[in-house]
Order: sequence, then C-alpha cells, then structure tokens
Amino acid sequence: MTNNQIFEIVSKQLVLLNETFLENQKITINENTILFGYGSSIDSLSLVSFIVDLETLFFDEYGFEISLTDDRAMIREISPFDSVATLVDYVFELVNELK
Amino acid sequence: MYKDKIVLVTGASRGVGLEITKHFLKHGATVIGLSRVESLFNHNHYYHFSVNIGDPESIVNCFKKEIGKHFKRIDIVINNAAVMTSQYSMIMPKKNAIDMVNVNLLGVFFVSREAAKLMRNKEPGRIINIGSMAVSLEPVGDSIYAACKAGINTLANIMAKEFSSYKVTCNTLSISAIDTDMLHQHSDIGQEKIKEIIKKIPIPRNALIDDILNVIDFFASDRSSYITAQTIYLGGIN
Ligand SMILES: NC(=O)c1ccc[n+]([C@@H]2O[C@H](COP(=O)([O-])OP(=O)(O)OC[C@H]3O[C@@H](n4cnc5c(N)ncnc54)[C@H](OP(=O)(O)O)[C@@H]3O)[C@@H](O)[C@H]2O)c1
Repeated sequence: MTNNQIFEIVSKQLVLLNETFLENQKITINENTILFGYGSSIDSLSLVSFIVDLETLFFDEYGFEISLTDDRAMIREISPFDSVATLVDYVFELVNELK
Repeated sequence: MYKDKIVLVTGASRGVGLEITKHFLKHGATVIGLSRVESLFNHNHYYHFSVNIGDPESIVNCFKKEIGKHFKRIDIVINNAAVMTSQYSMIMPKKNAIDMVNVNLLGVFFVSREAAKLMRNKEPGRIINIGSMAVSLEPVGDSIYAACKAGINTLANIMAKEFSSYKVTCNTLSISAIDTDMLHQHSDIGQEKIKEIIKKIPIPRNALIDDILNVIDFFASDRSSYITAQTIYLGGIN
C-alpha cells in the first residue's frame, strides 16, 4: 500500500466526518489539516470516532489490524495526530510492517 | 417491545444471563449471547459465541470477526458475566483474585468499549451492567468481588459521559441474591452468611428474576433516554 493510497483512505474518512459537522464547523481537508491539539477544530469525541472508523476500515477492507493509539503512537516525538500527513506516515509504517 | 433490537448478553449460558436472554427473545429481539461454553439453548433469533470475557483478545476478536461483520450494530448490552470467589483476603488464591478482576471488571470495560463502537448510529443505545449488593454491604470475604462491582458502577458513570453524544446510556442494576449456580457454589457456611445478610435488608428476601427484568426493561426502554449514570439496588439496599 502506498503513501498516496493511504492518504486517499484517510481523506475519504475525513470527508465522512466532515459531513457530520455543521456548516461553520467544517474542516478543510489536505495533508496539512491538523487533527489534534492547538489549531485543530475537531472535537475530541469526533476524533475518537474517526480513529475507530479508520482502524475498522483498515481491518475490514484491507485486512490490516492496526492500532493508532497504543503506547508506540503516544510516545512518538511527532504525534501521528499532528496532521493528516503525520497520520498517513504512521499508518504507512504500520501497514508495511504487517505486510 | 424489543422488535428489531439487537441485544448482546454476556454470560448468557445459564443463571441470570440465560433468563435475560429468554426475556429479550420473548419480546422480539435478536440476542447475541457470549460465554465460554457452547450454549445448549436454541432459538431462531439467538446467536451464541464462545468468548472468554476474561481475555481482551478473545473479546476484541469476537467483535471484529463475528459481531461487527454479521450484525453491524448493537442496541442493548447487558454486562452480566461474572465469577465469584468468596474468601478472606489473606487466603484468597491469587488466580481467583486475578480472574475476578479480568472477568468482572476488565471484561465489562472491553465489552462496553467494543460494543460502543457499534452503537454509534442514530438509534438509542443502552449499556446495562449487572452489579451487586456487595458494593454497598461490603461483606467479609468479598473484597475483590465487591471492588470489581464498585468498579463497574464507575465505568458506567464515566462511559455515560463519553457516549452520551451517541445517545447511549450506561447504568448499573445491582442485584441482591438470586438462586443460581453462583449462589449455590458457596459453602454451607457461605450460604448461611448470605441468608443472614438478606434477613437484614429492607425487603428481606432473595431477588426473583422478574425483579431483575423489571429494572432491565426500565433502563432499556426508549423512554429512558434521560436516565444514565445511575445505579439501582434491588430490595431496598442503597
Ligand atoms: N446469584 C447471585 O446471588 C448474585 C448476586 C449479586 C450479583 N450477581 C451478579 O449477577 C450476574 C449473573 O450471575 P449468576 O448468578 O447468573 O451467575 P452464574 O449462574 O454463575 O452464571 C455466570 C455466567 O457468566 C458466564 N461466565 C463466567 N465466566 C466467564 C468468562 N470468563 N467468559 C465468559 N463468560 C463467563 C458463565 O458462562 P460459562 O461458564 O459458559 O462461561 C455464565 O453464563 C453476575 O454479574 C453476578 O455477579 C449474582
């Protein structure tokens, strides 16, 4: 699975999340979109839901059992949730280890 | 009453869990039952999976590979499975103490966690934990058991906050004593002790299955959407 493919999957999932937001809460989706922390407008429960959906999707559709919030994710100097790009990089790393 | 509802009951193979299962089936629900052994119980709308509630991997696998795939959603969860060893703390076997924490506390956490993922839809969701009078009465010999049951009250209270935006309520029904394998496994002295405890509660008798089903129906009802983070004790215990 390539970085681009993962970006597409993550973006699609964010589009679905965006659909649940009110017009004035909608986020712009690109690789710089901040997912968590200062500068993010995604509330924590929506982020939890997004993570669950992403993990489920990777397992159901592609057979990759990934955990985006285990210790390994949490102790990284650059958090996977800093931006879409860091999340894509992290998923790429996990998926390629499982191959 | 429960037509089109999908209900998950842990510890559905016998005792209180089996009675709860039959009740939901009788009122039109589809029931998913979990327990370690294969169930001898048969019904067109009953689906049984062998799961060790004391093993998080076993729970997560069942949700990922079976429940999530075949059912897609869950409406009501009854966290009923539990094990109990009543023994003075100083001589409580290590394994039994650990089993109680794994099944009675962590098991409830992991089942609720996995089920909640399947409750994120437009339908109301209900998580109902089966607790115990031991939390309030703190009987000698029940230190770990009561601590785990106190823990599931707290789990429900906090999950009530976390899941409220998905219209999922989380409550606990704490039952007194009821005639099941769990009660019979006590030694004669143990059973005498329970009889003495029951004599002193405001309504001095064992619970009947209907006492339990009544509160389950209350928590499970669509009308109870404003009832969450509550613990109801049976028999007047508080
Ligand atoms: N009976 C009482 O007087 C009393 C009083 C207060 C509270 N309660 C509570 O009421 C609930 C039901 O108790 P009960 O009296 O019906 O107990 P029970 O007759 O001993 O039945 C326990 C159920 O839990 C299942 N179970 C136990 N360990 C399990 C595991 N590791 N994985 C999966 N399933 C497991 C058993 O199935 P398998 O053996 O097939 O796995 C069985 O279906 C429990 O939460 C209990 O703490 C009971």
